[in-house]
Amino acid sequence: MTAPTQAHDGATGAITRAPRKPAPTAFTVIGLAAVLLITLWAGAGIDFTLAPLIHDLTRGEEVLRQFVPNWSFLGRDAVITASLTTLYMAIISSVIGCAVAMVVALLASKVSAPNAVVYQVAKAVMSAVRSLPDVAYGLLFVAFVGTGALGGMAALIMFNIGVAAKLTAESIDAVDPGPIEAVEAAGGNRIQRAFTAIIPQVAPNYFSYCFYVFELNLRASLVIGVVGGGGIGQTIMTELARFNYDNISAVIVLFIVVVFVLDRVSRAIRRRLT
Amino acid sequence: MTVDTPITPAPAGAGKPARPAPPSKVRKTVGMLLLAAVLLLAFTQVDARWERLPAFITEAPGYVALMTQGVLSNPVVDPNADYWLAAINAMIESIQMAWIGTLIGAAISFPLSFLAASNIAPAPVVFVTRQVLNIIRAIPELILAVAVMMPIFGFGPLAGAIALGVGSVGTLGKLSSEAIESVDTGPIEAVSASGARKMQVLRWAVVPQVLPEIVAFWLYRFEINIRAGAILGALGAGGIGSLLSALFNVRAWDRIGITLVTIIVITIIVDQISARVRSRIIFGDTKVRVMEPAEVH
Repeated sequence: MTAPTQAHDGATGAITRAPRKPAPTAFTVIGLAAVLLITLWAGAGIDFTLAPLIHDLTRGEEVLRQFVPNWSFLGRDAVITASLTTLYMAIISSVIGCAVAMVVALLASKVSAPNAVVYQVAKAVMSAVRSLPDVAYGLLFVAFVGTGALGGMAALIMFNIGVAAKLTAESIDAVDPGPIEAVEAAGGNRIQRAFTAIIPQVAPNYFSYCFYVFELNLRASLVIGVVGGGGIGQTIMTELARFNYDNISAVIVLFIVVVFVLDRVSRAIRRRLT
Repeated sequence: MTVDTPITPAPAGAGKPARPAPPSKVRKTVGMLLLAAVLLLAFTQVDARWERLPAFITEAPGYVALMTQGVLSNPVVDPNADYWLAAINAMIESIQMAWIGTLIGAAISFPLSFLAASNIAPAPVVFVTRQVLNIIRAIPELILAVAVMMPIFGFGPLAGAIALGVGSVGTLGKLSSEAIESVDTGPIEAVSASGARKMQVLRWAVVPQVLPEIVAFWLYRFEINIRAGAILGALGAGGIGSLLSALFNVRAWDRIGITLVTIIVITIIVDQISARVRSRIIFGDTKVRVMEPAEVH
């Protein structure tokens, strides 16, 4: 790389010309071309046009008028029960999901896995679990055990294992090896090593992920409810089928407020943890 | 420095230094008790038909066997080949929806992230923009789709893509603004010193520093959106979600098995490609693993 400056003679006071712009790298050119092609392909695939944006938005106002919240709907017993069910589902699934995730994470990190085979298998299982969307788990477990919160919680637990195990395994990868060596030198076995050298080091991050997973669960429980997994999502689906948009918007406003508040609380706790 | 710290060899006579007192366990115990109490409340109050729990052992294995049968049966024989193709096509449609959605989210969040960065925008603007982002983050895509996009645009991939896009704005804006806040001030000072206006400072000192990281966030969000799009599909937006919920309605277990395996394989492939590209963008090397932001959903 030679500097392409024309003049460098500050002594004579001549104006130095700006250096030539570096040519874009092959990666940039290929990358931009790929982005353009994928965008055209994807846009054509889903018939993306901006036309509805203009002529449908005018219809929007009329549609949105049906969404004036019917607040009295929130007072019904069924709605209160469904909201509490969502909260309980989120709590139970976070705890069970995170507990299992810790075990999976210990097996899926090179630092703590007993051997290479277990490590590879655990990593593969983790990717497979993570790649299925929450709604697929919802449909699957509701089909297994029937509609209701039980199937919903099973679905949330699988979803949580996927998220928490991956994040925790990455934290375990990054632990300080000193304490591990110390425990080994003192003759500790694998379990003692995990409990005295690894878990205490990742604990702040791990608990922070657990609260994060809880936040995700509040949103995901809605998705799970839509496919029959119980809670407030199921209520929304029922009302949608009856075109009671005023009831739905009341539930939605309540849901957003509750999620917002719980998010704040959970975030405050997480900040103190890490 | 005085010498009489407790670490020095303990009082004459005792051979060994005293063991330090173990740290207090009060906080840990209280935390555990609280957690146990909350769990107990949740378990006893949740309306979950626990009597169905044995179905996981009595009924589920039968279904799993049916799914496995579907996956293992010869994929080139007539009906099976169609099943695999249908699953692959649906997955492709999901990917297309996620891609367009992510682009919409990127386009909206990019300018917003500058307004939400405290080192760029004035404090009142930052405050307002951050609250807007927080509110968007609290609304799940599902709600956006059901309550806003589908009544306006009708059920279809377009409504799905727009819902995914708007839903992405919250997290993308937050992560990007945090990246902008942590830029090196050196280039900003240099560009300002040469007489650049505010926009020129952004263009020449800030954007080049943050762009790789922000593009990596977009790609990561794309991976998330492929999954998030599934629920919109189940509501009629097309893609893999529509196929899955149709199959579960008729309990076609062999096809469900085929579809789930297709989702897993294609998602893992797309994730791998995306991770390689992200690592190449940030480090210029695909061997290095990028740590993912712990909070991107």
